[in-house]
Amino acid sequence: MYLLSLLIFIPIVAGLAVILIPSRYSGSFRVLSLAVCLIQSIILILIFTEYNSESGFQLIEKIPWISLDLGTWGVLKAEYFIALDGLSLPLVALSVGILLIATISSWTIDKNRKGYFILLLILNGAIIGSFCALDFLLFYVFFEFMLLPMYFLIGIWGGPKREYASIKFFLYTLLGSILILIVIVGLYLSVKTPDASDRVVHTFNVLHMQDAANLISGSALALDSTSLLGPYSFRLWAFLLLFIGFIIKLPAVPFHTWLPDAHVEAPTPVSVILAALLLKFGGYGLLRFAYPIFPDSAIYFSWLVGFVGLVSIIYGALNALSSKDLKRLIAYSSVSHMGFVLLGIASATVEGVTGAVYQMVSHGIISAMLFLIAGVLYDRTNDRLIENYSGLAVKMKSYTAFVLIAFFASMGLPGFAGFMGEVMIFFGAFQSQSMNGLLPTWMAITATLGLLLGAGYYLWTIQRMFYGTYAVRNSLTDLTDLNRREYLMLLPLALAALLFGILPQLLLNFINPFATEFVSTWFPFEKFINP
Amino acid sequence: MTASVELSTTFLLALTLLSLPLISAGVSFLTNEKFSWLAPITSSLFMLASFILSILLFLVSESEIGTALNFDWFTINGKLIKVGFLLDRHSLIMVLVVSLVSLLVHIFSIGYMAEDKNLVRYFGMLGFFTFAMLGLVMSSNLLALFFFWELVGFSSYRLIGHWHEKRAAASASTKAFLINKTGDLSFLIGLMMLWSASGNLDIITLSQISSPWLSVAGVCLFIGIMAKSAQFPLFNWLPDAMEGPTPVSALIHAATMVAAGVFLLIRIEPIFTTESLIFITVIGAITAVLGAIGALFQYDIKRILAYSTISQLGFMVMAIGTGATEGGYLHLLHHAFFKAGLFLGAGSIIHAMHQAQHHGINSIDVQDIRNLGGLRKKLPITFLGFVVCAAALAGLPLTSGFISKEMILSDMSIWAGSAFSWKWFILLAAWSVTVLTPLYIFRLVWFTFFDAPNTELQPQEVPVIMRIPVIALAIGSVTFLFASNSWSLTSLVGRLCSFAPHADSTITLVSISLIILSLIAGYFIYRKGQSHTLLNPQAYLDWSNTVVVKFTFLLSSVTAKLDTKWIDGFVHGVSYVGVTLAYVTGWSDRKLLDGLINGTASAAKGIGGLTRSIANGKIQSYLLWAMAGLIIFILWILY
Repeated sequence: MYLLSLLIFIPIVAGLAVILIPSRYSGSFRVLSLAVCLIQSIILILIFTEYNSESGFQLIEKIPWISLDLGTWGVLKAEYFIALDGLSLPLVALSVGILLIATISSWTIDKNRKGYFILLLILNGAIIGSFCALDFLLFYVFFEFMLLPMYFLIGIWGGPKREYASIKFFLYTLLGSILILIVIVGLYLSVKTPDASDRVVHTFNVLHMQDAANLISGSALALDSTSLLGPYSFRLWAFLLLFIGFIIKLPAVPFHTWLPDAHVEAPTPVSVILAALLLKFGGYGLLRFAYPIFPDSAIYFSWLVGFVGLVSIIYGALNALSSKDLKRLIAYSSVSHMGFVLLGIASATVEGVTGAVYQMVSHGIISAMLFLIAGVLYDRTNDRLIENYSGLAVKMKSYTAFVLIAFFASMGLPGFAGFMGEVMIFFGAFQSQSMNGLLPTWMAITATLGLLLGAGYYLWTIQRMFYGTYAVRNSLTDLTDLNRREYLMLLPLALAALLFGILPQLLLNFINPFATEFVSTWFPFEKFINP
Repeated sequence: MTASVELSTTFLLALTLLSLPLISAGVSFLTNEKFSWLAPITSSLFMLASFILSILLFLVSESEIGTALNFDWFTINGKLIKVGFLLDRHSLIMVLVVSLVSLLVHIFSIGYMAEDKNLVRYFGMLGFFTFAMLGLVMSSNLLALFFFWELVGFSSYRLIGHWHEKRAAASASTKAFLINKTGDLSFLIGLMMLWSASGNLDIITLSQISSPWLSVAGVCLFIGIMAKSAQFPLFNWLPDAMEGPTPVSALIHAATMVAAGVFLLIRIEPIFTTESLIFITVIGAITAVLGAIGALFQYDIKRILAYSTISQLGFMVMAIGTGATEGGYLHLLHHAFFKAGLFLGAGSIIHAMHQAQHHGINSIDVQDIRNLGGLRKKLPITFLGFVVCAAALAGLPLTSGFISKEMILSDMSIWAGSAFSWKWFILLAAWSVTVLTPLYIFRLVWFTFFDAPNTELQPQEVPVIMRIPVIALAIGSVTFLFASNSWSLTSLVGRLCSFAPHADSTITLVSISLIILSLIAGYFIYRKGQSHTLLNPQAYLDWSNTVVVKFTFLLSSVTAKLDTKWIDGFVHGVSYVGVTLAYVTGWSDRKLLDGLINGTASAAKGIGGLTRSIANGKIQSYLLWAMAGLIIFILWILY
């Protein structure tokens, strides 16, 4: 059926088609984009009917892509290899939904519509492609393909400081990609396909890379490799490079400062995509590549991973507290919430990993809401400074209701998806000490402070902006409440956050098999009898 | 989600009972602003239905008492988490009390909030609170209980901040939520410990858990209870919460939510070890005494009642800590009635005074008891209800408070033993509360109803719809409902819920004489309307909170600086170095390399007579390709 390929390439083809449409039909671009997103939604439904949550990778499409005979160097082999499992399916579903909402949110874009929607459609395909790719080279191609559209979307359609923000975003992400690329090359040289032909066939297949039996003995990244570079073996270095490469995306402290700038300057739909989808590649990359390929190194560095997560949680929340700009505050809250993902992954327990995936989905839904909310206000006044608003609850009742939903969902109020993810992460991180000894219990206990600080900055924002008597500095007329298009974007997200907060099993049906297999294959408890 | 239980009548009844207030909230929220007058009526009707169902549930489930009706919620790590109803005598009676008080508060609010602009939101949140509270009481699983626990805190936040245009209300709501959240974190940590120890959070099986963490987990859960039930040192949010509408104070901050902590204490009693019980007792004793002293020196009628609530909650916690669980639980039920009655009475007074103010230009603070006085004659019905409830609070014979207090005191004196130990100090605290309570409530009643009026205001008796709830609660606070003979203490409630009220007759005599002495003392102290310097324990706690908040803000400004100055500074520094390097290489490219190439070119030209065009453009790229080839070659060799 090639459902996955359709999902990936329909937007890319549509994006290329837009190039052919003359600019004077500028009204058609957004309609076309919307149509693409709706078609994708239908394909997604078909995928769900095909998908069987009990068995591993499904909807596999595998076509030889590059095959080069390099003589004595063996064979270079890369494949077009895409599939879905319990990790990628929830994220792909999230992507389709968020991209649909981002397209609706792009309805009001006026500046150079043609260019905007071309980039948006290419970005769309690249995001979904990255989540599906199981060939490391293919992943890398899709991954890089996200970078350029994003750079231009911030750099052309952004706010006053857009050049600075877009270059910063570009350089940071590029640095991350280079680190990942180095490891890809190293892995490529160290991994062969399992078929027992006399010739060594080098492969980018991630599933082969995840199996230690396929490591070429004597290669730099082999398990028995004794060569050291400074204090660490090559394997440890490779893990560190992947780790840094992916936590730049996540982003975790201290590689996070591109995020607030990019968010503040990006137009609302781009912020939504950035927060809800692009950040997820940090957690996804660790769970798909870094952890399964280098489980030994992951265990070695688990304390570090957990600690970086913990620092991000607290540090991000503290910075959110001091932010004067609403979007900046939300951006820092993203840093804090993605820190939980890191903490869950670091615990390498089923609860922690499940919680990390759950948190990624819930953060995707909730952060999209948060940025849409900031956008609603910015559309009306071109002003995001918290201190310039007061008593909004008096005039904008529905808006306030959605703000309350989004804020409380984000601070982990039960009934919303964020609570479930965080509770699982806490359970996992706390029991890590007794289960596998990877994380000390104080990490989970200290991380709860993030929830308190979260309540602090959100409630303080509500108190300053929404409570008190009505006053808006940069608007002479009363602000209008939500319009229909804004309802159309916010309501589904609120309902989704509520649905996954009350019926977690809907998501866990997919995540549970993945998390159980993840832990039992690479981090089984037998490994830690004497931690 | 598959139902793993037959849908028995009890289960359906409990489910309907739980969902009715939620539907009520939904209906209220969806009511069009134009028809907002409908919201009070619909939600009161829903609450009436809910109350009737709770009676039915009580009668029906007698055969199934103590059973949990569960269905699967979700599975994680192969462990199934079930949610459902744990219906035992504690929860069944609590459900009755919650739905009854909620119904009365709904009815009272029809009158009290009649002129409010946001009726839809008010009654919506009131319904939502009732839903969360009922869920909390009936949950069979600690995680589900925590779920509702936080929702209760959320609705409390929204209702305290109902008049959020007032700065004080807005900040009081934030403060209440943050302090509750602090407790919730500790609760969550306790849950983590229990999960780590057993992977099972069902309340019924808690007693089977054995783990070295158990003691710490118990204390962690108790810290959560401390925040919700306003125990020292986490009680300073409660007096501020009085910024909310008075019916809300009656329902949430007197009868139900703050009692939820005490209720939970009884629910999870099995996990408390001896050490954690000592901690609980001491905290309860400190709270009981501090609250009573605080109440003695306040002037705001609602704040006096708030401190009284703190003191009474401390009294219950202390009782449960010492093992007087049944007395503590009975006191919790009695307290729900008389304290809700007192609050609604206070609400009636405030309402009446406000109405009177509307006609004049007088702008005194009508909640200050020094501005009140002589209301006995102007609000006779309210006076009657208020005084009966006050008597129950003071623990006078023939009232409900008397029964439960005697139970607690006699159990505690057995617990304290005859040999001197630290336990005697706890007993002393209990006795001091017994003496101080009549004193402060006498002061309140005296200033409000007896003292000479200090204003020209002419308040009128409140509407019937507000009088009914007060009277109903007052009736609920007198003893003939509960006991046929208050001396022998064969209580109706006791029989109903198989409690056995009991008391040592010596203790009863001593306590009655102390209460009477205390009332006489009160009369002599307060008859002239003397005022006292403010001795306010809240001020010290607020100060420490401010320090914590200030410190957090300081820290956050430091991290913000770290971000902009150091991390970004470093990045900018690197990019500055990079750009400078690029300039240097660019210069070297233009001057040195190009110079070299140009030189080569001219040499070549001179020698071979080659055309100029090759030299400038193409050789550079040849060179580049050659370099690239070399690098790739080196890489190949390395591997």
